[in-house]
Amino acid sequence: MQPLRSSEGSASTLVEAPGAAPLVGAPVARLDAARLLRGQGRYIADIERAGMLHACFVRSPHAHARLGAVDGAAALALEGVVAVFAAADLPHQPLLDSVRIEGLRKTPQPALASERVRFHGEPVAVVLASSRARAEDGAELVRVEYEPLAPVLDPEAAAAGAGPDLFEGGNLLYRGEIVAGDVEAAFAAADHVVSARYHGNRYAAVPMEARGCVAEHDPGSGELTLWCSTQGPHQLRRRLSQTIGLPESHVRVIAPDVGGAFGQKIPAHAEEVAIALAARAVGRPVRWIEDRLENLLAAPHAKEQLIETELALAADGTFLGLRARILGDAGAYSHNSTSALIEPYLSAGLMPGVYRIRDYRCEILAAVTNKSPVAPYRGVGWTAGHTARELLIEKAARQLGVDPAQLRRRNMVDSFPYESCTGMLYDSGSYVASLDRALAEIGYEELRREGGPPAAGQPAVGVGVSPYVEPTGWGSDGALQSRWSFASHDSVRIEIDPSGAVTAAVGTPSQGQGHETMLAQIVADGLGVELDRVRVVSGDTSGTPISTAGTRASRTAVVVGGALALAAEELRAKLERIAAYLLDAEPDQVRIEAGRFAVAGDSAREATLREVAEVAFYDPALRARLPDPSLSVSRFHDPPASYANGCVVALVAVDVETGAVTLRRLLSVEDCGTVVNPALVDGQVRGALAQGVGGALLEQVRYGADGTMLSGDLRRYKLPKATDLPAIELHHECSPSPFTVNGMKGVGESGAIAAPGAVAAAVADAVAHLGVEIESLPIDTDRIVAAAAAERS
Amino acid sequence: MKSAAFAYHAPAAVGEAAALLAAHGERARVLAGGQSLVPLMHRRIERPEHLVDLNRVAGLDRLEAGPEGLRIGATARQRQVESDPAVAARWPLLAEAIAEVAHPAIRNRGTVVGSLCNADPSAELPSAALALEGTIVAAGADGEREIPLADFFTGPGETALSRSELALELRLPAPPPRTGSAWLELARRGGDLPVAGVAAVVSLDADGRCERVRLVCANAAPVPLDCRFQAEALLGAAVDEEGAAAVGAAVAAAAGPVDDYQGSAVERRRVLAVLVRRALLLAAERAGGRS
Ligand SMILES: Cc1cc2nc3c(=O)[nH]c(=O)nc-3n(C[C@H](O)[C@H](O)[C@H](O)COP(=O)(O)OP(=O)(O)OC[C@H]3O[C@@H](n4cnc5c(N)ncnc54)[C@H](O)[C@@H]3O)c2cc1C
Repeated sequence: MQPLRSSEGSASTLVEAPGAAPLVGAPVARLDAARLLRGQGRYIADIERAGMLHACFVRSPHAHARLGAVDGAAALALEGVVAVFAAADLPHQPLLDSVRIEGLRKTPQPALASERVRFHGEPVAVVLASSRARAEDGAELVRVEYEPLAPVLDPEAAAAGAGPDLFEGGNLLYRGEIVAGDVEAAFAAADHVVSARYHGNRYAAVPMEARGCVAEHDPGSGELTLWCSTQGPHQLRRRLSQTIGLPESHVRVIAPDVGGAFGQKIPAHAEEVAIALAARAVGRPVRWIEDRLENLLAAPHAKEQLIETELALAADGTFLGLRARILGDAGAYSHNSTSALIEPYLSAGLMPGVYRIRDYRCEILAAVTNKSPVAPYRGVGWTAGHTARELLIEKAARQLGVDPAQLRRRNMVDSFPYESCTGMLYDSGSYVASLDRALAEIGYEELRREGGPPAAGQPAVGVGVSPYVEPTGWGSDGALQSRWSFASHDSVRIEIDPSGAVTAAVGTPSQGQGHETMLAQIVADGLGVELDRVRVVSGDTSGTPISTAGTRASRTAVVVGGALALAAEELRAKLERIAAYLLDAEPDQVRIEAGRFAVAGDSAREATLREVAEVAFYDPALRARLPDPSLSVSRFHDPPASYANGCVVALVAVDVETGAVTLRRLLSVEDCGTVVNPALVDGQVRGALAQGVGGALLEQVRYGADGTMLSGDLRRYKLPKATDLPAIELHHECSPSPFTVNGMKGVGESGAIAAPGAVAAAVADAVAHLGVEIESLPIDTDRIVAAAAAERS
Repeated sequence: MKSAAFAYHAPAAVGEAAALLAAHGERARVLAGGQSLVPLMHRRIERPEHLVDLNRVAGLDRLEAGPEGLRIGATARQRQVESDPAVAARWPLLAEAIAEVAHPAIRNRGTVVGSLCNADPSAELPSAALALEGTIVAAGADGEREIPLADFFTGPGETALSRSELALELRLPAPPPRTGSAWLELARRGGDLPVAGVAAVVSLDADGRCERVRLVCANAAPVPLDCRFQAEALLGAAVDEEGAAAVGAAVAAAAGPVDDYQGSAVERRRVLAVLVRRALLLAAERAGGRS
């Protein structure tokens, strides 16, 4: 393999795995790259089973309707169509969220709609046929009776009780409050009060591999196997067991290579349950590959929130108090991943952000509407809240006539650990340093000096600063600090076989992040072996220890990596004891390095890992010294919370005559504590920034007045392309966590959280002279054009 | 997203293709680069029973620049036309417009003639080719005929071709001396179909006065909108800011854009006025005579 050069602006260069030098911290080339780039990856569409059928769902064309008879006779008459199932054909328990928050109402979601459809695209029936094309032919012929109902689309109206109820008990599922300090007193004492509204857009995650699964039921053993493009095999196993009524011992979930997920593949999806049931009912394996149209229409959406904010400031710009009201549009079901509160609740908890705010009150509401349900997507909950707060601060700076970066700086948390007023314990960080670094790198002072309204015919230029803190590495404690009672722990296992090869088994599958490499680095360092001796396996519930939460919440390095480091330490000590026996030395004199054992002060006495493993397995005499010589260590880990931080800065040019926004520079300073693999971290930061830019400028799920989807293809749902992004500039600070193994923190979501705020603030800065406020994303450029036209005339 | 079943035909000669179209009429579709047709088939919006693939018809990929003009065969790829030195030198508007069509991977397959037959009023090529006063040569069972582009576009996705005809080639006349052109568009992303686009071609007399002007707007009406009438207010004088802005305002008033996923009609009018002004000034400057 050729060492690759890493991207501009970053200190890292890719290296070949070194020998004895520590691997943690080195930009080791990805172990899976050659395999994936050569097309040797194995995704759901690569899985073939004997006698396998192909599925196509019949989906509701209505946003809201009573469901009548489903008639599959015409479809069944087609050659190649084997079965048509509707809800009544596949009895099961509905999907439910398992969130325990008082006052949150549950909304059972069936695998196939029965009696009522609640969103455009909801699955109503499934057709099984000899090929996907034939299944689509069949789906066209399934006749479904609908009696349309008025759709509920506006979350405010839903919360207020207008429109028909989607569920008994009304459309408002939750109303609650966070109260910290004395916010009324803070506002009474304020010299300035600034308020703002923000409508955070509805996103689609759009993983390159859409959803999909293959289900196979073995009538002999009664075992159900589901190969599924999922982030959480154990969680999915649990949901399948609950809905289908099989013990978890008889459900096996395997995540093969997963082509992107970004949170969309955290939940158990109605379609996956339906396919599992259908395979059992038809007695043949069934494959469902979601196409792009289905994915945009019916896979969960994300992030939409309506936020009102109010900031109290002293005359000198000190933040005194913050008030907010956050309404989450949950879509048609409180989704089983993390419920209707996934967005507004998380948003409310992090609303104070990197700022010293002690007096805070936030009202939290969640309502159901006739849209595809909301589930996690990179930066869950935090994107909209962060953007709302940063736009509020921009507005405050303009009203007070102070520099927005300086206003932020003067209010930043600057000593650690710091407990936020919402109960988050910020472990360590470089809040001020990251901001200062970002300002220096972008040349902020100079940009400010050049600022002001543009000369005629010139674009309006603006700069936007977006410092962030990101809860990462969710164990149960991290979840709890986000006010979420949620079991979020991992177990891992490291084994050495008689050949001396190391296998690390973890419950968190990778969706392309490079976990395999990052985790192998930790194991190799922990054991003192070479990188290529370590194999990481993941994502098969029958062979890997349990991960209750799966791959989510920037947690794999901290929780799973931490568990592996601890397991490796234990296994290393055992290896050294066995080597001491073999080499006739005291255990504390034996050291392993790069897979070789040596005795201190005696270079003649040496052993390889293979020789030591051989002894462990095949030399009975060893047991006199070590009764249990097995080379397998399991470890449970549920670390304390950790918080990454950093700062994103955007520089934009706005053509106020056409509304065209050009992103001239996009810069990020990232601090995720101890970095295991800088190249992988850069990849994560870059990808999240791109998605954040998409949200700021382009991405928006749209529904028509009748509740039908208007953004159902990639021409209409506009993801940013490479040509829409500048060369991203990356810089790093490092504040190791005092609470986690190795000081690691999580990484991967910051750009999705902070970039929309940076770009929005930059545009707001550029067009401030026109009096245009940014109150929603993606930026409505026509408002800028209209304001500029009005100003000219 | 799998197309409905269809029969596939790969004729080797124009006559054979025309015969297939004559035989199957409404139930057949011509396949050129497939970059518009195939996605529509996968979505089952188009469901031809017969697909007549032109890609194996010998000679249809011709690209010939001569003294009378340019001939672009039905299977000549957009990328091929865009990178041709003669096109860049004499019909730079075409190259400039194609550069905004999608991305190279798509232009490697997509054809210029296919884009015209696809007749998307928001697409770059129909407007650009109309501004260059192109003519389509069509072939049917009864032989060939010429259709000026001014008569070719009849509605969104509709052309003057009958279902039993295929377009053989696009012909563009040689532009007069002292001609400059410009393609300007507003697109939400690089490679997107424009929210609005403008093709301007300005020819000057020896004294720098506007002698001839062609102006066509994309996404301003159900067909590429020919705004020659509004633009001819510039004739006889140097093209200046004020004159160009007046044409922009007149075009915005005359256009009939609609609300769609890209933006509102109101926004389109605003943007059209700006793009028309800028495109006319740029074309005049390139013609060598901006005052
Ligand atoms: C991702 C993507 C982005 C795109 N972006 C743009 C863009 O920004 N701007 C833009 O203008 N286009 C865009 N396109 C469309 C692209 O330019 C197409 O190539 C073009 O519109 C059609 O050309 P084609 O050769 O692919 O035609 P086909 O798809 O093969 O055919 C299109 C239609 O024309 C008919 N047809 C084709 N050739 C003939 C013929 N010789 N005689 C009679 N009928 C014929 C077909 O029957 C069909 O109805 C994009 C396409 C994709 C996939």
